Amino acid sequence: MAQTFRKGFLRNAVLALALIAPGLASAAESAAVSSPRVTATLLSSRDAVQPGERFQVALVQKIARGWHTYWQNPGDSGEATRIDWALPAGMTAGDIRWPAPKALPVEPLVNFGFEGTLLLPVEITVPESAKPGERVTLKANATWLVCEKICIPEEGAFTLDLPVGAAAIVDENAQSRIDATVAALPQPASFKAKLTSDGDRLALSLPGLGAEASDIRFFPLSDTLIEHAAPQPATPAANGVSLQLVRSSAFKLENAELSGVVTFREGGLPRALAVTAEAEPALLTAAAGASAAPRPAVVRLPVPVEGADLTLWAALVFAFAGGLILNLMPCVLPVLFIKALGFAQLARAHRDEVREQGVLFLSGVVVTFMILAGIVIGFAALGSSVGWGFQLQSPPLVIGLAVIMTLIGFNLLGAFEVGTSAGGVGQDLASRGGRLGAFMTGALAVVVATPCTAPFMGAAVGYAVTQPPVMGLAVFLALALGFALPVLALSFAPGLLRLLPRPGRWMVILKQAFAFPMFATAIWLVWVAAVQAGPGGVLAALIAVLAAGFIVWLVGVTRGAGAVRLAATGLAALVALGAGWFVLQSAVPSATSEARAGDIQAWTPERVAGLQAEGKPVFVNFTAAWCITCLANERVALSRQEVKDAFAELKVASLKADWTNRNSAIAQALAEQGRAGVPLYLFYPGKKDAQPEILPQLLTPDMLVTAARRAAGKEIKTASR
Amino acid sequence: MKASLTRQSFIAGLALASLSLSAGSVLAQGTAKIGQPAPAFQAVDADGKTRNLSEFAGKTVILEWTNADCPYVRKHYNSATMQTLQKDMAREGIVWLSVVSSPVGEQGYVDGTAAKDLTTKRDAAPAAVLLDPNSKVARAYGATTTPHMYIVDPKGTLAYMGAIDDKPSSSPASLTGAKSYVRQAVAELKAGKPVSEAATKSYGCAVKYAPLS
Repeated sequence: MAQTFRKGFLRNAVLALALIAPGLASAAESAAVSSPRVTATLLSSRDAVQPGERFQVALVQKIARGWHTYWQNPGDSGEATRIDWALPAGMTAGDIRWPAPKALPVEPLVNFGFEGTLLLPVEITVPESAKPGERVTLKANATWLVCEKICIPEEGAFTLDLPVGAAAIVDENAQSRIDATVAALPQPASFKAKLTSDGDRLALSLPGLGAEASDIRFFPLSDTLIEHAAPQPATPAANGVSLQLVRSSAFKLENAELSGVVTFREGGLPRALAVTAEAEPALLTAAAGASAAPRPAVVRLPVPVEGADLTLWAALVFAFAGGLILNLMPCVLPVLFIKALGFAQLARAHRDEVREQGVLFLSGVVVTFMILAGIVIGFAALGSSVGWGFQLQSPPLVIGLAVIMTLIGFNLLGAFEVGTSAGGVGQDLASRGGRLGAFMTGALAVVVATPCTAPFMGAAVGYAVTQPPVMGLAVFLALALGFALPVLALSFAPGLLRLLPRPGRWMVILKQAFAFPMFATAIWLVWVAAVQAGPGGVLAALIAVLAAGFIVWLVGVTRGAGAVRLAATGLAALVALGAGWFVLQSAVPSATSEARAGDIQAWTPERVAGLQAEGKPVFVNFTAAWCITCLANERVALSRQEVKDAFAELKVASLKADWTNRNSAIAQALAEQGRAGVPLYLFYPGKKDAQPEILPQLLTPDMLVTAARRAAGKEIKTASR
Repeated sequence: MKASLTRQSFIAGLALASLSLSAGSVLAQGTAKIGQPAPAFQAVDADGKTRNLSEFAGKTVILEWTNADCPYVRKHYNSATMQTLQKDMAREGIVWLSVVSSPVGEQGYVDGTAAKDLTTKRDAAPAAVLLDPNSKVARAYGATTTPHMYIVDPKGTLAYMGAIDDKPSSSPASLTGAKSYVRQAVAELKAGKPVSEAATKSYGCAVKYAPLS
């Protein structure tokens, strides 16, 4: 390029030439193609080209205010600008070098494109064989779609006629405009990004991005990767950030490497990086042909009670019955006894108050059920995998519940009294506290009840999450009403209350006795935290209990005095913050929750298919450490010797799908059987592709043995044969 | 006991607070999902009759989002490709519903009379044109472009969603050799096979949404 002359040098010469041949005056820029929306030209960085050189031309679009044209991936609608070249023999044009796009919201959609003045640079190569003194004619046909709210497809034909010289002549002005555009093009990132599946979402980790980067947005080249309009929350990750993306409803990924542009601001300046990301193999859709991998059709089995082919009425009845039975499940019993105990104390003197408390308990139950159901249904609608009992998949929450249970236990034992400092405050406030208390007892009962699944409930909840939200909520409402009914009935039935003995010493003893189920529940929850988060989880749980105990004690001994009280409150807040931070830090779910027992393998759909193909009957146990019903079944049925013997004799393969931590494959398998939560027991016959039998939620050893025989095709023929 | 009721509220309050922390944020956009029940809808057609998805139970239903002034829609109608497709589908006993989601004042908005005029003038053959000026049906399905196609099978399950064909262009020349995703899906459904390309990226003009009120 040493021979390149700057235009200034030869301006006079060129001007002189221009006078002779007016057609060449604008050689560096083609005639404009204009519409009220876009004025487009083809701009060359050369007034004359040199044999063998490479130079830049650019399609320039001056776009009217309010209108836009599109990037490579136009987003939710639109079409990218295209240029088709007709060049002299030997001359070649590269692809458009795309500037970083902007996200252009057209509520509720988002397009990716450009506003204002846009240069789309293209690199042109001049052949060595070009002869100085000749002319070369570059012809380009460009098409673009320009949209405001409405869209107009436009096109233009552009011609650049350039002389070939022994040396190139640079058009200073054009060159600097194109240079500025090229300098602002997305720079290749120095890091390799990673795309992983995050449940039904995607996570894009950008390890090289600094903590000071803000307004981060990922623009994928493929238009079948993500939902373009979804927000992309960024979270700090291992030496960089991670963007959460929503999988496109037309999701398709055929190549393990994908590219795109990441835009962000750093130190107030806009920046853009061209990134390539490696996708985790599980995200790859089968190559061409069988693209958009058809999901296997959901098979509904003709099992009357457990199937999901329920009518709305049946689902409502099941839900109500399930709610009633839920009262007998071990997780809620202590909470309910405390409520009943409260009634007993109030019973004789304040009948109205008991009724009011009953109604408030009911509202607490209903509101909490609706909140939980709303979350579950909302996520199901988004295609995300949240199941019933989801809140217990969060170790910090499990630890929080363990702390609450411990505190309730100590309170029942009389170790401390919360709220007695309010003793001086009038009756009004106290009874308001009572109202809130009754409501909150309802809420607490629901929160601790969710890990229990009662018979009838599984099918009803499964039905609820697959229906339109209104019907789903109706089913959960029926569940809530069934659950609240016994306590409500008690509060409205003076006869029942009269059956209770007069308050007295027995009540104090009973109250103390109820502390122990609470401690037992706390121990169970700490064990769940241990399963979820390993030894770190246990430490976090015990530290949390210690901190809570210290805070309660501190607040207890410093009541009254102003300044001391203030200091104590401050200290308590500090301890609470510290302990909370510690819990969040150490209670991180551990990556795997493989089946723990020796001869039981972890479940995968492939393993089931493989074992079936070998002719083995397969038993799959969908369970979770926080599911009490599951644990009960394991104790009373699954681990019994006669069941083990039968399984061994019939060569049954046992698989365990552990849902203690989040796992979208398991969530999807549950959904395919019309369930939203565990337990679920499936028996697959030892025949390729044969559909499984769904076992009831409460197992008996007999049931398992018979099901095993059926699956193995060795049913015992009865004598009447 | 008064005191311990306060204690209950304190404890249960903790429980609720931590619960709400775990809830996270929930966003909403089209709920249509392949293999799931197609979102139910109710809309008035060009004759002023209220139509429901449920009235077509047992039949295959095709939804076509349309906007007569969108260049991409015009490509398919000016060449009679769309009308031919509609007539072929009608012959197979398939219900074709054209949906107009443009609100008053936006491009593509039509009232019943204008919608019927368009049908006659273009020799189109939809079973009904649904007027959706508040974009409710569009939101339920998450329709993004015109055209945007959805196929609901006789069981009410969403079997296809996406583009009308594989040539995302407004140029009439692109119709030659284009693969019709709709024809492919209908043929596969008829043969009892799973739809091989059940979700594709639709192309066209943005659906003109009415603001959420």
